[in-house]
Amino acid sequence: MRISIAHSTVYRYEPPANGAVQVLRLTPRNHDSQYVARWRIDVSPDAQLAMREDAFGNITHVFSAARPLPEIRVDVDGEVETQDGNGVVRGTAERFPQSLFLRDTDLTRADAAIRALAEEIGTANGCIPLDSLHALMRRLHDEIAYDTALTNTPMSAAEAFALKRGVCRDLTHAFIAVARCLGIPARYVAGYLQLADGITEQEAGHAWAEAFVPDLGWVGFDPANAICQTDAYVRVAVGLDSLGAAPVRGARYGISAESLEVAIKVGQ
Amino acid sequence: MLSRTADNLYWLARYVERAEYLARILDATLRLTALPLAYVGAGNEWQSAVATAGCADAFAAAYPEANEDTVTHFLAFSPANPSSIRCCLESARVNARAVRTALTVEMWDTINGAWLELKKWSDGPSSRQDFSSFLRWVIESSLRFDGSAYRTMLRNDAYWFSRLGLYIERADNTARILDVKYHLLLPAIEPVGGPLDYFQWASILRSVSALTAYHWVYRENVKPWLVAELLILRDEMPRSLASCYENLVQNADRIARAYGRQGLAQRQARTIRARLENSRIEQIFQEGLHEFLNDFIKDNNQFGAAVTQQYLV
Repeated sequence: MRISIAHSTVYRYEPPANGAVQVLRLTPRNHDSQYVARWRIDVSPDAQLAMREDAFGNITHVFSAARPLPEIRVDVDGEVETQDGNGVVRGTAERFPQSLFLRDTDLTRADAAIRALAEEIGTANGCIPLDSLHALMRRLHDEIAYDTALTNTPMSAAEAFALKRGVCRDLTHAFIAVARCLGIPARYVAGYLQLADGITEQEAGHAWAEAFVPDLGWVGFDPANAICQTDAYVRVAVGLDSLGAAPVRGARYGISAESLEVAIKVGQ
Repeated sequence: MLSRTADNLYWLARYVERAEYLARILDATLRLTALPLAYVGAGNEWQSAVATAGCADAFAAAYPEANEDTVTHFLAFSPANPSSIRCCLESARVNARAVRTALTVEMWDTINGAWLELKKWSDGPSSRQDFSSFLRWVIESSLRFDGSAYRTMLRNDAYWFSRLGLYIERADNTARILDVKYHLLLPAIEPVGGPLDYFQWASILRSVSALTAYHWVYRENVKPWLVAELLILRDEMPRSLASCYENLVQNADRIARAYGRQGLAQRQARTIRARLENSRIEQIFQEGLHEFLNDFIKDNNQFGAAVTQQYLV
């Protein structure tokens, strides 16, 4: 499937910021079932834009400007050719052994409720990783209500699980937390999803999880939609949690109020 | 476009590329054997030249011993060896004639001129110097052919099919030379960095015209693992496997778009490209360079077969 993506992010500062440094994780890499046919990043102010690779093998652009900035606009557009890999993601850039992805972070730390869920799912599925992960994905999909009102509320996995509401980011965090309790390496994936209902304009990128299943490799699970990764998914960055895979992270100098506008278009 | 036409264009480019590669191997071997034995060791360079060309078995069946006379005859002039320079140029011309109208005048002139000129050497070279100028002439003919294709051909499926042939052949050649040479060289008792190493590696780089490129990229002594990295993973090196596959993916993609349909060939090219892009040289060495290159040669052949299946038959 050929997916075209246009993603623009505008930061407005009032009064203008004195300068800014940002790390953009906005460039997908090729793997067995994904090929980037065309990709371009545009940043509005004249600034340095240096490409490098982060520790997880994600392609990053570091953007820095040291003069007054009323706004920063980051435009990304490109085309990606994808194939259905039946959920399995092969041929990715791997920089660490899988066991690294058992590591806890603040956003994915398990509490008693999550550990109880892990134990329940583990025993119900006889500790077979693939079955447990499928059961977990359906369980979270049913139990946590999708609520876009919470997009801008940062929550940990435990909080979202207790609240029973969240966005794809929170479902993914919960999924990762439970998988790691089961001893299955899991990681956060940020990317784009082409919606089945044909709507191209989206308010935010998509997020899902990958878990390492012996004999299969990394398998993509999307608890927000209760399906494994298909050819509608474009995989951009991975990390231990949403902060590690965030599309844009950065800092600005000077005291100013910031407003953010994101527009994403994913179509065929 | 007829499958037959696409097939001819594809093989035309492959044969010309192969002729150039053979000429480069022979040239590098001549240079190596011209050095004092103390520099290059006692290994049989001519045997390794035959192995790099990928026809060791056929050679062993036809000749008792690998030396300058037998190998130059076998790889350059033998009518019995289907991948000798002579046979490559003849096959290239046969393919070119069949699709004369799909080629530009410049391309046809180059390939037909090369074929006519080849007759001058039908009895073999008169001297070592004569042989050197023959090799130079083969390389120049190939460069002229490639250059005319690049500068004069319409960018349509005819051009894309000829590029597919060229890059598949080139990727195969690069993988092969690296595989053979690495195996002859690695068990050497000679300490790394000795003169043996230097001349051998420099000759590998020279045989794919990458010696200067190496020094531009790395700015240090010729080191085996860096040579491997340059020839496998470096995008900016036009003979590297990564660069060949970047071009293969693009050309296969253009064909798919022009025909409005894609298939196994496109998927395979993308998969191989992604693997090369995501690999690192340390990882490749850890898992074994020989295994990596063997797998690559196999994948590359499979991709060639997929192209044939999808478009050429």
